[in-house]
Amino acid sequence: MPAMDLVLNGQPRTLPDADIDPRMPLLWALRDVLNLTGTKFGCGVNACGACTVHVDGQPMRACVTPLSAVAGKSVRTIEGLGSPGRPHALQKAWIAHQVPQCGYCQSGMLMAAAALLARNARPSDADIDAAITNLCRCGTYPRIRAAIHAAARELREPAASRAHAPARAAGPPKP
Amino acid sequence: MKRRMFLLTGLGAAGTLVVGWALLPPRSRLGRADLMPAGGGEVGLNGWIQIARDGGVRLAMHRSEMGQGVHTALAMLAAEELDVPLARVQLVQAGHDALYGNVASFVDQLPFHPREREAGAETRTVKTAQWVVSKLARELGINVTGGSSSVADAWEPLRWAAATARAQLVGAASLRWRLPVEDLVVEGGVVSHPSGPSSHYGELAKAAAATPPGDVSVKEPSRWRLVGKPAPRIDVGPKVDGSARFGIDVRLPGQLFAVVRHSPVLGGGPGRMNVDAALRRPGVERVVRLPSYAGSAPAVAVVGRTVWHALQGADALDVEWRAPPGVAPDSARIARALEQAAREAAQREGGFAFYRRGDWPRAVQSAARTIEAVYRAPYLAHATMEPMCCTAQVERGRVAVWAATQVPGLARAVAAQAAGVPQAQVTLHVTYLGGGFGRRLEVDVVGQAVRVALETAGRPVQLVWPREEDLGHDFYRPAGAAVMRAAIDARGDVVGLGITSAGDAVTPRWMERTLPALTVPLDTPDKAVADGLFDLPYAIPHERIAHVATKSGVPVGYWRSVGHSHNAFFSESFVDELAHALKQDPVAFRLSLLKEHSPRHAAVLQLAADKAGWGRPLPPGRARGVALHESFGSIVAQVAEVSLAGGRPKVHRVVCAADVGTVVNPQIVAQQMESGIVFGLSAALYGRIDIVGGVVQQTNFPAYRLAGMADSPAIETHLVPSARKPSGVGEPGTPPIAPAVGNALFALTGQRRRELPL
Repeated sequence: MPAMDLVLNGQPRTLPDADIDPRMPLLWALRDVLNLTGTKFGCGVNACGACTVHVDGQPMRACVTPLSAVAGKSVRTIEGLGSPGRPHALQKAWIAHQVPQCGYCQSGMLMAAAALLARNARPSDADIDAAITNLCRCGTYPRIRAAIHAAARELREPAASRAHAPARAAGPPKP
Repeated sequence: MKRRMFLLTGLGAAGTLVVGWALLPPRSRLGRADLMPAGGGEVGLNGWIQIARDGGVRLAMHRSEMGQGVHTALAMLAAEELDVPLARVQLVQAGHDALYGNVASFVDQLPFHPREREAGAETRTVKTAQWVVSKLARELGINVTGGSSSVADAWEPLRWAAATARAQLVGAASLRWRLPVEDLVVEGGVVSHPSGPSSHYGELAKAAAATPPGDVSVKEPSRWRLVGKPAPRIDVGPKVDGSARFGIDVRLPGQLFAVVRHSPVLGGGPGRMNVDAALRRPGVERVVRLPSYAGSAPAVAVVGRTVWHALQGADALDVEWRAPPGVAPDSARIARALEQAAREAAQREGGFAFYRRGDWPRAVQSAARTIEAVYRAPYLAHATMEPMCCTAQVERGRVAVWAATQVPGLARAVAAQAAGVPQAQVTLHVTYLGGGFGRRLEVDVVGQAVRVALETAGRPVQLVWPREEDLGHDFYRPAGAAVMRAAIDARGDVVGLGITSAGDAVTPRWMERTLPALTVPLDTPDKAVADGLFDLPYAIPHERIAHVATKSGVPVGYWRSVGHSHNAFFSESFVDELAHALKQDPVAFRLSLLKEHSPRHAAVLQLAADKAGWGRPLPPGRARGVALHESFGSIVAQVAEVSLAGGRPKVHRVVCAADVGTVVNPQIVAQQMESGIVFGLSAALYGRIDIVGGVVQQTNFPAYRLAGMADSPAIETHLVPSARKPSGVGEPGTPPIAPAVGNALFALTGQRRRELPL
């Protein structure tokens, strides 16, 4: 396979042919060739979602997505979800709700959640259960749920949402 | 480990005492200023605190961040005493000096019942043992992030170090301005006097280093600005934009990647091997045989240009795996053997009695009624989301290692051993840990990575374990069985409790592979596996709690909350059985056994029950279950609301109450309770590792199922206010959830589940 073109986080990129095997999963091209390490390896078998990225806007598990499947397409990774100056609403909600613990699964969680919000502006709890099949060993699920709801509100009605304190899955303890 | 320390202590106490240890105040853990590297004009004030030129505080961070929030909590303690905003504290990885060893985790392992070591009520034996072990731990200085001990351990020395630094800074200003210390004000790292003079810490640091601190005191709680408040975690920003660097994210110029393959059979190793096909795969650089390091099985590593290239090579390997010596372990057979061992020991009052009170044999003989039940738990894997990995570079006799480790000093030791160099030649960089849960108390992967790096001509190499290797070659939470017996008198009161459990000891196994120099030939009783049975809070006059230590041939290790992880299921399910057998409400029954001797436990249980609406009606098809458990000095009660969906338990809501002593950051405590509950829920609902003919059957996540979003209940955490010293937070949320769910299932179905997973 000759050099491969794709659009990575909005920028056209060409992968040199020396690095390209069409069967190589996108995950390893991102991590080990392009040094974009925000996308994580967790299982290699499409089970944990730590490697979730967007391909033409759709959530894909990069560990089982061969490079041949993304040639000429637009790939977005956690590094391109927001920018330091303009974080994605989900990233802001993740901070407001103090979601991450070890943090390893959170790139995939955020990418899966961003794909959900892109197609469903008002996800129900059941929608979140169905869309977020990623695994988190630290048990951040209740906060992820609350942060997705908060980000969805923020994206729907930014002004109104800002006027209220973010809701929480678990109220802060009152010692 | 501490059991062994205890024994060692017995052997060496006389000698060491002659050397003349004195009971020094916490300031003895101040440390020398030169323990922290200074290259950018920072001024070191002690082994913990440096002041940067701009007045920022640099804190020696000795503990590993694996999600538990320790970086934030310890930075808060320093910021509090130094009167700087949290954002002004910059973390610098601590070195390997004994100063940074963990004392609390060693002292915690002394096999005393919580009642015996209650502050102020200790016997002389308890006090002496604690003193000696703390001195020994201080001398050994083993840096461990584990045992839910980081804040408890740092509580005195870190606050004192920061307060001492502050006193020196203020003292320097006082000398410079010739104004009394009492009249100076510190705000945001700026020292000033109402008459005008004002300097930030950076301007005072040099003079402060030469200024004696004078009388130092740490702040009274009433003056805390940060401690006790929900400060945002300092690691959250990089964890939402992909920039946080975990062990697996280390990227160096010229870096290679390697993957490991172990024998499918536990304990086996590579025999005859043909590497031609593997080396013919594009991007594959070489194949390296790996001997055993720190308990790992002998293995093979394939080095490639990327992890994927290495994986391709590994798939093409032609290896004849040698069978391990002896009979290959089999989990079903082990489970039967454990149950039999526990039953036999229970019959003849065998096993090692970790706790005795009253006269248990007589209580049984004179009982009007006895209740007996047998409980079981399987092997479990840690399954950290970040698979095992380590990056190493060996160049001209110097070794650099980047590791996500809970034990940096032990990681350095195994790296030095693997490279055949003195430890001083090894530089160890601790990254963020993508989960630890005890798996990263092991340093097997560090030795393996350094061994591979010896073969790559100075190029750095990152060794990654595929998930199949992680689940198939863990140091598992041991399987366990327990015979639980209660003696009931004619009035229907519980007068005796006898527990005989069986399972593999964890600490001696960890010691012999990780700290071989401190290993003694004979296993001493391992308190870690009796935790959660021998230390119950209930006022039962006659008790005998014993454990039979087995050697089942499966590698076992520390797993979040260790013995508590299954023992709480045994004890709190059985207590629930007793309540129902005696026709009492499970909360009221527990309270009646707590009220006199264990007021803290009673308060926690009552809080959970109140917040959960215990006793109030639920929708049809739902029921509540409760469990109360103390671990790592903290007391946690949980009430779970459960239904059955398609025959499987569904947990809707968990109300958690906890007494963790003084709370440094309530937000992180709540987070850790949620974390412990979901982690424990995975084990309660799904967790099991089956071993057939030495081969672990669960190879990846579809087979080793974890709780997911759809399994995750709504969780509320309520904290009991406390002025006690901080106690554990990272683990105590885990033990109660399995029995709470099991007890709810009993309330729902009338069927008692006595085996995990539910």
